Amino acid sequence: MFLEDCKILENYQVSENYYLMKIESNKASQHSKAGQFFMLKVKNEIRILRRPISLHFVDKDKNILEFYYEVKGGGTKEFTDLEAGEIMNIQGPLGKGFKTDVLDKKCVVIGGGMGIAPTKLLINDLKKNNEVIFIAGGRDKNAIEILKNLDLEGVKTYITTDDGSAGEKGNVISALCKVLEENKIDMIQTCGPHKMMEAVAKKAQEAEVFCEISLEEKMACGVKACVGCSIKTLDGMKKVCHDGPVFDSKIIVDVNPKENLGCNCN
Amino acid sequence: MNRLKTNFLGMEFKNPMVTSSGCFGFGMEYKDYFDPNVLGGIVVKGITMEARDGNYGTRIAETPGGMLNCVGLENPGVDYFENVIVKNIKAAGIECPIIVNINGKVIDEYVEIAKRVEKIAEVDMIELNISCPNVKDGGMAFGANPDVAGAVTKAVRAVTTKPLIVKLSPNVTDIVHIAKVVEANGADAVSLINTLLGMAIDIKSKKPVLGNTFGGFSGPAVKPVALRMVYQVSQNVKIPVVGMGGISSTEDAIEFMMAGATMVSLGTGLFSNPILPVEIKDGLERFCEENGLENIQEIVGAAHQK
Ligand SMILES: Cc1cc2nc3c(=O)[nH]c(=O)nc-3n(C[C@H](O)[C@H](O)[C@H](O)COP(=O)(O)OP(=O)(O)OC[C@H]3O[C@@H](n4cnc5c(N)ncnc54)[C@H](O)[C@@H]3O)c2cc1C
Ligand SMILES: Cc1cc2nc3c(=O)[nH]c(=O)nc-3n(C[C@H](O)[C@H](O)[C@H](O)COP(=O)(O)O)c2cc1C
Ligand code: FES
Repeated sequence: MFLEDCKILENYQVSENYYLMKIESNKASQHSKAGQFFMLKVKNEIRILRRPISLHFVDKDKNILEFYYEVKGGGTKEFTDLEAGEIMNIQGPLGKGFKTDVLDKKCVVIGGGMGIAPTKLLINDLKKNNEVIFIAGGRDKNAIEILKNLDLEGVKTYITTDDGSAGEKGNVISALCKVLEENKIDMIQTCGPHKMMEAVAKKAQEAEVFCEISLEEKMACGVKACVGCSIKTLDGMKKVCHDGPVFDSKIIVDVNPKENLGCNCN
Repeated sequence: MNRLKTNFLGMEFKNPMVTSSGCFGFGMEYKDYFDPNVLGGIVVKGITMEARDGNYGTRIAETPGGMLNCVGLENPGVDYFENVIVKNIKAAGIECPIIVNINGKVIDEYVEIAKRVEKIAEVDMIELNISCPNVKDGGMAFGANPDVAGAVTKAVRAVTTKPLIVKLSPNVTDIVHIAKVVEANGADAVSLINTLLGMAIDIKSKKPVLGNTFGGFSGPAVKPVALRMVYQVSQNVKIPVVGMGGISSTEDAIEFMMAGATMVSLGTGLFSNPILPVEIKDGLERFCEENGLENIQEIVGAAHQK
């Protein structure tokens, strides 16, 4: 894990609300892997917390990190104002990434909306030694415009949108069902809205396929110091920032928040 | 010459800077960013007798200049702390004093855990967190009622020979009174402030943001309140004060010392700036040099009106 002042190389709008930022990082770039994330510092100090953003891609030869982000609130809005040449402080790489040390497997990668972010590097790494099938989904064509930035050569790709403005009208689950029917799949890895990943995990379980999902929680420290991003799993409490964000879907349980302690302690 | 050297409760600290409970894990989480031995001391996450899962649902919410948390004291329990964590801390080469933050739901539980911690040789001091809800007496925090705050301090004092710091809650009408009561009941020092009780509402879902509805408010936004309380308390007790609440720069640390804090503690400030302790240590050294101070302790209480 590093703290690094990085020069912004490019920061441009991909579509509507979606942006791509490339930065120069001499240290972190050499140690980053698919599924890990960074805590990016927001300049305006009134926003005291860093923003967790996934690694979209890394070019280890040129020391370039890429982040793909959506404007949600004030912090990500501020990121859009950063211009080439400006400096941003980054903390990372953080967490455990996706499993990529596999050989001769048939892998399915599923990205939904912003969840497409970590799939660029994941696909890049997996396809060197494996067959990769990619399912990408989004609300509309804006949400999947980023696919242009992915190297999908040799990757069988299915694209779905909720409104049918690009690819097939529908969602990633129907595409996954089709893929599972037609192929013997060894591994499924997914990032996207929670509901979508839940459905993917369920399908994976039915088909008895190993499945990894990438979770999101509100984070303060990013290094398991604050215990703010804890989730309950079958293996006990886990920190999304440290034990994840990528987890074996089998250990994830859904917790009814009504079970709360009602304890106002920190 | 080390101008930051501070004697606190009979122990030599390299500098007057510790990390706040709950913001620095168990001492090693930030080791990739700086050597923990840079710190004067380490206050670890609050522990309880049994392991606790804490609250479910969203635990963190950012607010302008601050944050809310409702972790709910998630921790692995005193057994695991004693058998695994303490060993790891020492194996990692951490030499600065270790202060353990202890918590309970009833006075007996505080006493039980204090007895356990008393026997852990690697622990140098105890910090008694009295912001917890007092389950037996209706759920109001131990620290909100002077009688109960006094009783829990006295009970813990009776079972430990280690220096005892009592951590005060700001969610009270008269913090000076509480400070005096815990002093009278055997506290060796007081630390303040713990978090202010707050909340945030998501106007889209019309629901509280935090899974627990309420949470502890911390960060730069609470600094003026914390500073005022340190200023008032330090003038009314004879025991030393550990000051905290929103410290995020050398200047903030100096303000707390001038308000009367012998020691300063860094919490939420670490999240945005993981090397804050290194910056403050360097900053305090520079301040001593520039102002011709032999030791940083010379500024403690400088702002008190004589
Ligand atoms: C491991 C991880 C990886 C992520 N990767 C990406 C990515 O590659 N691209 C991308 O666009 N977004 C990603 N997100 C979500 C991103 O962190 C939030 O959209 C962003 O923090 C929102 O900040 P804001 O200031 O714009 O919004 P605000 O709503 O103003 O933020 C307020 C606070 O809530 C936090 N917050 C808000 N939404 C989220 C969220 N969904 N997850 C975690 N914290 C949140 C913020 O960090 C901040 O502390 C990721 C989240 C996590 C946990
Ligand atoms: C995430 C988090 C967890 C905390 N956990 C504890 C705890 O376990 N025990 C305790 O006494 N205080 C706890 N605190 C309070 C801090 O130690 C400190 O008193 C408070 O945050 C004010 O200082 P700050 O503004 O510098 O963070 C916690 C604070 C935060 C933000
Ligand atoms: S964000 Fe602090 S523990 Fe994960």
